[in-house]
Amino acid sequence: MSLHMFLTLLKRESWEHRSLVWLPLLTAALIVVTALISTHVAGSIRISLDGGERDFFATLSLDPQAQAQLFGVWMGALVAPIMLVATVVLFFYLLDALYVERKDRSILFWKSLPVSDAATVISKAVTALIAVPIWVWLLSLVTGLLTFVIVAIKVSGTPMAPLGNFHIAAWGVLQLTLLQNLLIAALWYAPLAAWLLLVSVWARRAPFLWAVLPPALLALFEEITFGSAQVFKFIGYRLVGFFDAVGPGLVRGDTDEADLASILQSIRDAYEGMSAISLLGTPDLYLGVLAAAALLALAIRLRRWRDDA
Amino acid sequence: MTAAVIDAQNLRKSYGREHVALDGISFRVGAGRIVGLMGPNGAGKTTALKAILGLTPFEGTLQVLGRDPRRERDALMQEVCFIADVAVLPKWLRVSQAVDYVAGVHPRFDRARALAVLAKTEIRSRSKIGELSKGMITQLHLALIMAIDARLLVLDEPTLGLDLLYRRAFYETLLNDYFDHERTILVTTHQVEEVENLLTDLLLINHGKIVLDSSIEALPERFTQLLTTATHREAARRLQPLHEREVFGRHIFIFEGQDPAALAALGELRTPSVADLFVAKMTGSAS
Repeated sequence: MSLHMFLTLLKRESWEHRSLVWLPLLTAALIVVTALISTHVAGSIRISLDGGERDFFATLSLDPQAQAQLFGVWMGALVAPIMLVATVVLFFYLLDALYVERKDRSILFWKSLPVSDAATVISKAVTALIAVPIWVWLLSLVTGLLTFVIVAIKVSGTPMAPLGNFHIAAWGVLQLTLLQNLLIAALWYAPLAAWLLLVSVWARRAPFLWAVLPPALLALFEEITFGSAQVFKFIGYRLVGFFDAVGPGLVRGDTDEADLASILQSIRDAYEGMSAISLLGTPDLYLGVLAAAALLALAIRLRRWRDDA
Repeated sequence: MTAAVIDAQNLRKSYGREHVALDGISFRVGAGRIVGLMGPNGAGKTTALKAILGLTPFEGTLQVLGRDPRRERDALMQEVCFIADVAVLPKWLRVSQAVDYVAGVHPRFDRARALAVLAKTEIRSRSKIGELSKGMITQLHLALIMAIDARLLVLDEPTLGLDLLYRRAFYETLLNDYFDHERTILVTTHQVEEVENLLTDLLLINHGKIVLDSSIEALPERFTQLLTTATHREAARRLQPLHEREVFGRHIFIFEGQDPAALAALGELRTPSVADLFVAKMTGSAS
């Protein structure tokens, strides 16, 4: 198994599932277009600045550190909508990945070539957990730079001018943090991806229902029988646990009522809590990776011996 | 004899309790042979091919190019190619992508050769497979396979659903541009007439059992077709024919292992065609 061969397998995924490439790109383009359009209403934003916000930007212009933190926070937030769209696409991608090839019988073509079942299944997991996240990261990087240029032009000569300063160090740290977060997220969500791949290789029909219903019914059964919600909590934990680790929310909407010091504090908290590295200290992360390995091994075995084409 | 390309001993496979797909079959396929594996629907042909390709579990001993397809499938597929039937190339794949993909994953693929074969067709490299006709998809698949330096080519109903022109062209290309007397081809098809002139060996299978395993050269020695009239019918029947039918008042018998001298007095003698033998063996073993 050479690197060249593995890259061919990843390319193959992008040929079949073009939406993995296009929908995140489209989302990124929408962000830039939105920023562009809002440039035209810059005048109205200036007018709407009330006393509190004026004070805020005045303080900000004297505090380069706070500026850099705010810069990092809003630029980092741009990855969220792109990743959200990619996540939805990836969910359906993983359910299709080993199901459609059996449905259209193309599995007989793929299996006529010297590509092992392990390489095939792993290439699909790597597409979902590494290749697409890196694509999202690249898109967010470019989107961030384009949006920054637009915002910088928009705010120049206004009291919001501090938003137009580029903080190269904060930018570099941000990009590394985002990349690191994406890789930690890959580890955290590996069991989920492996579960979807397993359903995809196993289900005779309706993989979506097979992926969603059994855990949902199990949670419901527990609720009715024992009146507890351990299964539900566990599923919720595996779904949003990563975001709990990313610290206080990146988006704070209540700037009107808070005082200046607490706004600056919340920006600092958001900036400093942006890294998901604390998750690396959670045993649950590694247990999840072990579970993922077991589920993937099962998926590989099923694809190897499944005989229903 | 050189090492067999395929050496199968007592292969067994059943689906559930009822359906026995392979009932302990044994056979050998030597290098440089073109073997027709034939039988009616449900006879076990596809199951046998799947066993050879390591696609299904089974009982018994099986060596393909010296490897067990159950344990060494990944290594085996470097040297084995197969075309399942025309419908298995995915519709979303572009012709150029198909070439890129095989070039990327197969160490024995010669891209220039595939492109040269494709250049002789009307297939455009930007086309998606879903846009091609069945005949063109087969041409594409064959172009890919022919560019792979493999030792064994397995074809499972490769021309199913194609018109006569494409079927002819398929086998002619295979024979003229691919087969080189070192490679081995194993083919299953219902269209017996179309392959009978290119086969070197015949394997007939029915109800999961081999009913005939012979080289084509050995057939005339073993089988005799007698064309006779009603006058000699009873005499012919006493010699235990394998099969009997009547066409336009002529009685046609097929004998196995019968001395031609004993038959010559009864009428005209011929060597039965593969299609005739197929019918004789299948109806014989069914009763």
